[in-house]
Amino acid sequence: MALTIFLIMVALLLLGFPMMIPLLAATFVGFFMMFGNFDKMDFMVQQIMAGIRPASLIAVPMFILAADIMTRGQSANRLIDMVMKFIGHIKGGLAVSTASACTLFGAVSGSTQATVVAVGSPLRPRMLQAGYKDSFVLALIINASDIAFLIPPSIGMIIYGVVSSTSIAELFIAGIGPGLLLLILFSAYSIIYATIKDVPTEPKASWTERWQSVRMAIWPLGFPVIIVGGIYGGVFSPTEAAAVCVLYAAILEFVIFRSLKPADMYTIAKSTGLITAVVFILVGAGAAFSWVISFAEVPQQILATVGVADMGPKGVLAVISIAFFIGCMFVDPIVVILILVPIFAPVVKDVGLDPVLVGTIITLQVAIGSATPPFGCDIFTAIAIFKRPYIEVIRGIFPFTVILLAVSAALIFFPQIALFLRDLAFR
Amino acid sequence: MEVSENHDPHASSLPGVLGVVDTIVSRLESVLLAAGVLLMALNTVANVVGRFLLQHSLFFTEELNRILIILITFAGISYAARQGRHIRMSALYDALPPAVRKPLMVLIAAVTALAMFALCYYSVGYITKVANSGRVLPALQVPVYWIFLWVPVGFFMTGLQYGFTAIKNLVSHDIYLSTQVLEGYDDDELEV
Repeated sequence: MALTIFLIMVALLLLGFPMMIPLLAATFVGFFMMFGNFDKMDFMVQQIMAGIRPASLIAVPMFILAADIMTRGQSANRLIDMVMKFIGHIKGGLAVSTASACTLFGAVSGSTQATVVAVGSPLRPRMLQAGYKDSFVLALIINASDIAFLIPPSIGMIIYGVVSSTSIAELFIAGIGPGLLLLILFSAYSIIYATIKDVPTEPKASWTERWQSVRMAIWPLGFPVIIVGGIYGGVFSPTEAAAVCVLYAAILEFVIFRSLKPADMYTIAKSTGLITAVVFILVGAGAAFSWVISFAEVPQQILATVGVADMGPKGVLAVISIAFFIGCMFVDPIVVILILVPIFAPVVKDVGLDPVLVGTIITLQVAIGSATPPFGCDIFTAIAIFKRPYIEVIRGIFPFTVILLAVSAALIFFPQIALFLRDLAFR
Repeated sequence: MEVSENHDPHASSLPGVLGVVDTIVSRLESVLLAAGVLLMALNTVANVVGRFLLQHSLFFTEELNRILIILITFAGISYAARQGRHIRMSALYDALPPAVRKPLMVLIAAVTALAMFALCYYSVGYITKVANSGRVLPALQVPVYWIFLWVPVGFFMTGLQYGFTAIKNLVSHDIYLSTQVLEGYDDDELEV
């Protein structure tokens, strides 16, 4: 049964069906194989509805809405400008600024694609002008945007938290350490790259200019304070933090910056609704799929075949890492989380792994896989946004993949990178 | 999406009365989407503000959000189908020659339409079951089955969109991702 379902899913995925179809088809087949007929199919609808029911999922549309308001307004540019004024002048400064701006914007928005657009679009032309090769610039933007996946808020972490019944607040806090580690390593690589290629440095900003840029960015800097501070301090639940972000973003862009008109709100809400629907039908279909495969004990069959039970906690983490990494090289991260988390759930429980650590590692793998050829979805975001050919987009990715894999290994052997802040806040 | 946003995003490509109805449905869906998101934001924000400033949470926030997320999801899947925005792994598909892509797109759209119609049928069965159980939402005192009434409608409209996409691909020269959106590549103007 596991094999049949698996083959059907892979075939439908690769042929280019909308992603809900492989999930639904696998569920249809699973139901039929279990019950021998389609009499119990209203169960499937029930599972889909149960899948989109958890109240914590409301954080997803709220964070998307807040990010949507900010991307169309001025917040992103003000943040970028501040980062540039402070570190733009060092060797590789533009590249380091890009990575830092991606991280900072990641602390404001939960999606990598929003980060590629908000940070990549304004900074890529400047980097090209400064003499960076496009292959490096594209690879940097794609990979640094993935830091946004780890830095709270993170839509991937919300979905993982709901699917695996793990505290989303703890996941958010645990993502900060690995996210910052990636930023440091990407920055180091950027500086080395700029030194070897001898990319000219930018003029240094005066302290007056810097102070000015901080004043411009002071309002957008409130977002990380609300999200991280609010959750860390136990003031807000993630959903509440998301709601406050929406309110804050609306006040900034509509009242303080006056960059948007009330009529824009309709367009923004519609676009948020569209993305939400596309994600939520997958979450619903994923829940039905997860119900069927757990009911039929498919995970146990698969895990027994792989022999994962004898590997110990580190071995299990390694297998999970590889599975998610490979999965995301082909399919959208959310779909991978929806399919694979329930498959690994029994073994994670058996070997007694901390679900927050597992969630952080999965989020990291998902980020890496999404930026890795052949089909990582961020590559296609970059192709669509920057209108560059596939080969050029992937040419410079390899060094970043090496850094990312090194951080994954580090995370498996030194879980404190993720858990230190979590323990400080919640234990 | 780029294609449609330059023109009226609701303009239907269907002929006659069907086109008029389609345009109205499209407008309705987008109003529902936007209104659903705005209401949800208002509701969630009001709850937080209430809790912090007035020490009172709104008793209905969670249930209202549950209703709204169903509304958004099921108005949205049809609107997304109309705009060709559902997530798909198109890398292999894109690499195929147009002569293969066209029949494949017909197959994809037809199978997706069938799956949506099947889910529409089964969701009616599910709603009947919930209605017979007589459950009500504890805070709002609304029968639970009411909040699901959208579900079969959403599945049905999505099924129709994919059905029309299959037909459109059969009767026209180009390859369409949805009834409104042509494949976004330079080479699809080629004669197939």
